[in-house]
Amino acid sequence: MYLYIYDVFLNDKKYFNLLNKIENRLADLEIKGKICRLNLLKNMSEAIDDGIKQGVNTVVAIGNDSTFGKVVNAVADRDITLGIIPIDGESKIAEILGVPAEEKACDILAQRLVKKIDLGKINKQYFIDSASIDDNNVSLNFEKYQISPVGKTMISICNLGFLSGNDSIYQKKISIPTDGWLEAVVTPLKSGFFGKKGDRAPSVFPFKKILVESKGDPVTVTIDQQTIFKTPVEITVAPKKLKVIVGGERLF
Amino acid sequence: MFKNNEDTHKSDKIETIIGPSVKVEGDFAGDGDVIVEGIVIGTLKTKNHLRVGDEAKVQAEISAASAFIAGDVNGNITIEEDLELKSTAKIHGDITCSKISIEKGATINGKISMNGQKKESINNSVIEK
Repeated sequence: MYLYIYDVFLNDKKYFNLLNKIENRLADLEIKGKICRLNLLKNMSEAIDDGIKQGVNTVVAIGNDSTFGKVVNAVADRDITLGIIPIDGESKIAEILGVPAEEKACDILAQRLVKKIDLGKINKQYFIDSASIDDNNVSLNFEKYQISPVGKTMISICNLGFLSGNDSIYQKKISIPTDGWLEAVVTPLKSGFFGKKGDRAPSVFPFKKILVESKGDPVTVTIDQQTIFKTPVEITVAPKKLKVIVGGERLF
Repeated sequence: MFKNNEDTHKSDKIETIIGPSVKVEGDFAGDGDVIVEGIVIGTLKTKNHLRVGDEAKVQAEISAASAFIAGDVNGNITIEEDLELKSTAKIHGDITCSKISIEKGATINGKISMNGQKKESINNSVIEK
């Protein structure tokens, strides 16, 4: 049984026609289900808990990257398969999973190609792609050793690395979200007329658990380009934590 | 990045890369291949291949299944199988391995033991092919 969760911003009437088209397409594909429209009084976790009690085994989030970031955290600890319908073509998470925008996403849902992927966990919050550390004045403490950046660098903790700002991480498959590991990637930076650009190969450290500490004032850690944490933070891998419906154009 | 080196070891996946942009301190232990182009202080162990680039500075006890060394190593080196030293290698420490290849220009300050038996003792010398 499917549960379709509409994010709060979709209550705006400008989305009425688009949502109608999506609902019609879902009906054509015979994968219609219960619809829950979020509002200020009903949050995502409550909606999913209510759905599970009624026999829901697939939750489909309709919205944008903010929606998908929240739903990943809501379903990760439950035995639920996740699907997404991006409401515009700007969703990075949808690009990672190979899901096209709007009605076309319904076809991906109907094909139901399910992958189990790892998630990163920072303190108590999950992330699907990466965490970026915006300051060099940190140390990454592994179980028995620690690393410190030398010179100007960009530090990313990657499950896939698509949002890390270093395209080579996912293009060269340095970080794969199905291998049970996260990677700490330290990329040297070079300043120039056209901004900062990596000029040498990055350092790569696979790990299952690290502690990121600042050597001075707390440093910002941003996960999936959305949520911000301050150091110190503990980052772990949650292997095969998310069951998600993916498309053939996925990045992994 | 590694175009000047000639490591003949091939692997499907490089597990860990310690580049010039980081310093590693402590007891590093890995299961996969390890490439070092930066600074390592402590111990450095891997169950697979180790490659130390010509700009690397390693102050550590090293143990690995096989190794290619082109940089500075200050510490004892224990290799189960093949050890290859490039001309730019500078070793300060004892070496234990099964097979060794030393390029002209490499310097070794320490003892070399083959299969656990001491075959050669070298102090402050330059090895030639």
